[in-house]
Amino acid sequence: MNPEPNKNNQKLVMGNEAVAMGAIAAGCDFFAGYPITPATEILEEMSKMLPPRGGVFLQMEDELSAIAAVIGAAWGGSISMTATSGPGFSLMQENLGYASITQTPCVVVDCQRGGPSTGLPKLASQGDVMQARFGSHGDRPTLVITASSVNDCYESTVFAFKMSQKHRMPVILLIDGVIGHIREPVELPPAPPPRKATFPKIDADSPRFGDAPFVPFGHGPVTVVTGLAHQSNGLAETQKGSHTEQMIRTTIENICRDPEIIDSWALKYQLDDADVAIVAYGITARSAREAADLLRADGIKAGLLDLKILWPFPNEILRELAGKVAAIIVPELNLGQMVLPLKAAVGGRVVVHSLNRADGTLLTPNDIAEFAAKQLNSIEERTHA
Amino acid sequence: MATIERDQVRIRLAGRGSQGIMLGGTILAEAAVIDGLMVAEIQEFGPEARLGAAKADLIISKGQIAFPVVHQADFLLCLSRPAYVRYSTTLSMNGLMIAEETLREEMGDSFRVTYIPFRAAALELGKELYSNIIGLGALAALSNAVTKESLQNAVRARVETETLTENLAALDIGYELGYKQVPQQIGSRWANAAR
Repeated sequence: MNPEPNKNNQKLVMGNEAVAMGAIAAGCDFFAGYPITPATEILEEMSKMLPPRGGVFLQMEDELSAIAAVIGAAWGGSISMTATSGPGFSLMQENLGYASITQTPCVVVDCQRGGPSTGLPKLASQGDVMQARFGSHGDRPTLVITASSVNDCYESTVFAFKMSQKHRMPVILLIDGVIGHIREPVELPPAPPPRKATFPKIDADSPRFGDAPFVPFGHGPVTVVTGLAHQSNGLAETQKGSHTEQMIRTTIENICRDPEIIDSWALKYQLDDADVAIVAYGITARSAREAADLLRADGIKAGLLDLKILWPFPNEILRELAGKVAAIIVPELNLGQMVLPLKAAVGGRVVVHSLNRADGTLLTPNDIAEFAAKQLNSIEERTHA
Repeated sequence: MATIERDQVRIRLAGRGSQGIMLGGTILAEAAVIDGLMVAEIQEFGPEARLGAAKADLIISKGQIAFPVVHQADFLLCLSRPAYVRYSTTLSMNGLMIAEETLREEMGDSFRVTYIPFRAAALELGKELYSNIIGLGALAALSNAVTKESLQNAVRARVETETLTENLAALDIGYELGYKQVPQQIGSRWANAAR
């Protein structure tokens, strides 16, 4: 892969390659993974890029060990990540919970494919959006980021690493088979030189968990790391009234109040005067954008809310939107997943219609526009009747 | 539903694995990038290393590409029989299919199809492998989607140096074969669609 830049300095890059390039730009120096369609190119690119930079690339025996290696590497002082698709993401759930309770910064990319199980390996899906939030048992803070273009893949990856370090938690990047495999011209900065991660100095009696900064092994005093509920010094604490609940609550609050997250929660397109809002994410947001244009060409004022961060769910933005539009259309490549928190957020103040497809076929702009027009007509008929 | 006229051309390259469809798609996309155009390219192939179905879809556009997937192609390059059977229905209303000459006998003539002897031309050049680049040349000649100079540069960037001379020659042959097929009376029809 040695694409030539054009006169605008743009190169032809594949979505999965952009993820790998974003990871390198964010300082990632450790990748462990197991190949799986349609995420394999991320692993391939990392295997080419990391070793010459002094980074570590490991192909593991499966996804269970891949995420375990990633958590171990983070505690060894590396900036680490893995990439997989649905079946592998299912296998990673247990250790994702472990990364959560041990507050380990790392990034997991899930390039979604049709499911359940082996499902539709080559085809796009958005079936893992709920699993990304609730896949691991117990309550945990989650940050799930999406991407809807090659440029997004790069930027979202950089953002995922930044947030994982800032809030010391596993961050999930959800893309899909189409976004991962599409090639588009993008202008990306050159990869920065390799750098060693730096960590703050702490005393032997400073807290290690909760609001405390992440200090891996070998960079400070001895730290106890356990998957059991623990105190802020890391020692297990399994009686009633555990401090872990408060630590999880604090992280969730910190994420929801983080201005960087609030700013990048969702993109608005032609929503100012819209009567109907399409709420979409990932590849479906691309169809929805054109669907909004199609509807406007037909005289229906439509707009798009493109969700860039799925979890935590942008309740406030949706509540505000519900007061402005007559209907919300939620197209998804699953049988109706993100429509559930959306309905909870708008609380019945506006009609919500779900448009679903989970057979590996994409929802086209026409599918969405026709569906939206039909729903609007039926609303009008009911009001005039 | 209304339609929106966009300044873009939708291209589908289809054949079987080992015919160089994937490389062809990437070269064409690269050429569009060098031309400063927007492009979205996506490839689809079976699990087989050889002989499975293979296709590369491209949208080449002057403006932003919202929906990046080809459902109906303005230009459809078909190098194999299964590709012809499977994708001929995805040709748009004003679309043009550019198919391998050997398929003419079975598929018959139509004003929507132009047959070009890619295989014969490639064999004349030395290897059947060059038929993808000859196909690209013919497609570029008929669609005018990218400039010849950019296509040559893209071939230089993506093809191995040992076979570069042959591939550039294949491109020239493709352009020649393509230009021969442009019927004067309908030539303008594609020209407007493409650029």
